[in-house]
Amino acid sequence: MKRLVLVIVALTVGLAGCGGQKTKQGITLTIWETYNTEERAIFLPLVQQFEQANPGIKLEPVSIPFDGLEPKILTSLATGTAPDIARVDVGFLPKVAIRGALAPLDSYGIGTVTGQLRPVALASCVVGGKTYGLPDQVNGLCLFYNREMFTRAGLDPTKPPETWQAFVEYARKLTDKQTGTFGFGMRNSLWWSLPFIYSFGGDILDANGKCALAGEQAVAGFQFKVDLYAKYGVEGGAWRAGGIRDDLGFQSRKYAMVFNGPWAVKGLQDAGIDFGVALIPSGPAGHATNVGGNDLVVFATSKHPAEAAKFLMFMVSTDVQAKWANSLGQIPVNVAADPLVDQTKHPYLKVFMEQMKYAKPRAQTGSYPDIENAVNPEMQAALDSKKSVEEAMESAAKLVDGILAEEADLKASLK
Amino acid sequence: MPKGTAKTIVLYVALAAAAVVVLFPFFWMLVTAFKQPGHEFDPQIFPKNPTLDNFRRVFAEFGFLRYFANSVIVAVTAGVFATLFATLAAYAFSFKNFIMKDKLFAVLIASMMVPGLMYVVPQFAIVKKLGWMNTYRAMIVPHLANVFGLFLLKQYMETIPRSLVDAARIDGANDLAIYRRVVVPLSLPVIATLFLLTFQFHWSNFLWQLIVTNRESLYTVPVGLAMFKQAHEELYTLKMAASAVSLVPIAIIFIFAQRYFIEGMTQGAIKE
Repeated sequence: MKRLVLVIVALTVGLAGCGGQKTKQGITLTIWETYNTEERAIFLPLVQQFEQANPGIKLEPVSIPFDGLEPKILTSLATGTAPDIARVDVGFLPKVAIRGALAPLDSYGIGTVTGQLRPVALASCVVGGKTYGLPDQVNGLCLFYNREMFTRAGLDPTKPPETWQAFVEYARKLTDKQTGTFGFGMRNSLWWSLPFIYSFGGDILDANGKCALAGEQAVAGFQFKVDLYAKYGVEGGAWRAGGIRDDLGFQSRKYAMVFNGPWAVKGLQDAGIDFGVALIPSGPAGHATNVGGNDLVVFATSKHPAEAAKFLMFMVSTDVQAKWANSLGQIPVNVAADPLVDQTKHPYLKVFMEQMKYAKPRAQTGSYPDIENAVNPEMQAALDSKKSVEEAMESAAKLVDGILAEEADLKASLK
Repeated sequence: MPKGTAKTIVLYVALAAAAVVVLFPFFWMLVTAFKQPGHEFDPQIFPKNPTLDNFRRVFAEFGFLRYFANSVIVAVTAGVFATLFATLAAYAFSFKNFIMKDKLFAVLIASMMVPGLMYVVPQFAIVKKLGWMNTYRAMIVPHLANVFGLFLLKQYMETIPRSLVDAARIDGANDLAIYRRVVVPLSLPVIATLFLLTFQFHWSNFLWQLIVTNRESLYTVPVGLAMFKQAHEELYTLKMAASAVSLVPIAIIFIFAQRYFIEGMTQGAIKE
C-alpha cells in the first residue's frame, strides 16, 4: 500500500513539475479565429505572408469553435487571458467595446485604409465615435430564386421581382399547395426580418436611441411579412418549429425564393440548383437589406496594439481582399478590390456588392442578442396570429427600451 | 390466452415503442454519417450513395485522432484519480473519526448545491494564476475532488458490516490494509459506477475544456465536434461521423462496467 501512495505522490508531483513556458524572440500576437475550413485555408498562408513581410512579429492563430467564441472571450476577459486579436461577430463587437475591453485603433494610423472600406462594413466597428476594429467579412441578405421553378410556373427566369407587389404576384404563381411547394420560405428572427422593416422605412432604433419597432413604418414592414404567410399564403411556414428551414427547403426545391447570403452559393452550386440572385425587392422606402459579418478586434490588454493594428490593416488591404473575394466568393470589405473581382468565377458577387449599397448599418448597441431574444417571441406570436402585429411590436418596443435603459446604466457606471 | 401473457405482450410492445423512440436519434446519427454532404435532411432515411468519406475527412482533415487521444487521456486519468480520491475520502468519513467530521461533510454536501457554472470563472482564475493554461493538469485536476462520488461511496461503505472491519483489525490490519483488502473489494460495483460516471462527465465536458485550452493540439472531442458548426453552415455529415466514432470508447467502457455490475450483484449481498 505504501508503494501505491508513493506512486500517486510521484505522479502528482511529476504532473505539477513538468511544463513551463518557452520564451519567444520578438513579438508574438495570438489570434482567435472562427473561420470555416475554406476560409482557414486562405487565412493561414496570409499569416505566413505577413510574418515574412514583418520579421520580428510572429502570429499564433488558434481555431475556436464558432459557438464557443463568446463564452471563451468573456471568461478570458474576466481573468486577464484575452488574446491580442480576435475575429468577432459584428453584433458582439459593441458588447465588448462598451465594456472597455477593446483598444481603440484611431491612433494607430488606420486612417490610411478606412477611407477605402465599404462604409457599412466600417460602421460595424465604430462605437461612440471611436473605431474598435476593422471589418473582416461583410455580408447581407439577398433574394435567391430558383430559375427552374420560375420557368415551370411561366415566369421569366431573367426577371426576378423588383418590388414587393411584384414579389407577391410571383410568389402566388409559384405556390402550389398540392405539391407542397411555396413561393417563399422565411426565417423569423429580427435580423432576418430587417429587410422588410428597412424597406418600409423603419428601423430598430430611432434618432434618439429609443426603440422604433412600434413605429408606423416598422409595423408596416413587419405586417407585410406576416401577410406573406397569414394573408397571401405564399410562405411555407419555414419559420415554424418543425417546419423545413428556408435554406434547406430551397435546396430541396420546396421554396422557390428565399433570403440568403454569399455563404450559401457554393453549397447550392454543389447541390446542382439552378438559381439566380437578385436584390431584395424594394418597398415604399426603396431597396434595403441588413448587415452581418465579422470584425477583427484588438483587445485593450494586448501588449502590442500597434503591431496588431498593423496586421488588421494588412487584412483589409486591397490585395488581400481581392484574394479573399476571388478564392471564397465573399464581398470584399475594401471597395478598391471591387474591380479586381473575377466576375466569371463568382457571377453572383456583383449582385451582392450592389445589394450592399442599400445595406443599412445596425444600431451599435451592446445588447443586440438580448434585443433579438426579446423581439423574436413577439414576432412569433404575431406570425401565429396570437397577437396583432401592432400589439406584438408595442410589447417588443417596451422590452427593448428596458434593455437599452439597462445598457445606459451600465455605460454610466463604467465611466 | 392466459391473462399474464396478454399483459406481457402489451408490456413488450410498449417497451419496444419506447426503445425505438430512444434509439432513433442514434440510428439517424449513424445513417447520416454515411451520407453525402448536403443530403443530411433528405426525406429518405437511407443514403442513396453511401460513402465512407466523412470518416476519412474527420481524421485526415480535422485531426480528430488528436482530439480522441486528448479525450482519452483526460477522461481516463480523471476517472481513475477522481474515483481513487473519492474512495479514500469515503473510507475516512465512513470508518474514522476526526474533528468536525460532520460539519465538514455538511459543508461538502452544501457545495453541491451551487450550480457548477458558478465555479467556472473562479476556477479558471486559479488555473491561470498557477500557470496551468494549456496543460493537461488544467484539463484534469480541477474536477478530481468529486463530492458526489464521496457521497455515493460513503453511503455504500456504511452498509459494510462493522464486524468485518473489526475482524480485520483484530487480525492486525492497519487502515490501508482494511481499505485495500476489505472495503474496496466489497465496494467494487459502486466504484465501477463512479468511474463510469466520472469518465462520461469528462468525456463530454465541453465548456471547461474550451476555456482552458488555447491550442488546437489540446482540444478534446466535444470541442472538436463544435468546430463542425461554422458561421453559416453546420457540417452535419462530418459531425455525425465524428460523433459515431466518439461513442465507441464510452460504449466499450459501459459494456465492461456492466459485466462488473452483474458480477457484483450476483455475488450476493454482504453476508453476516
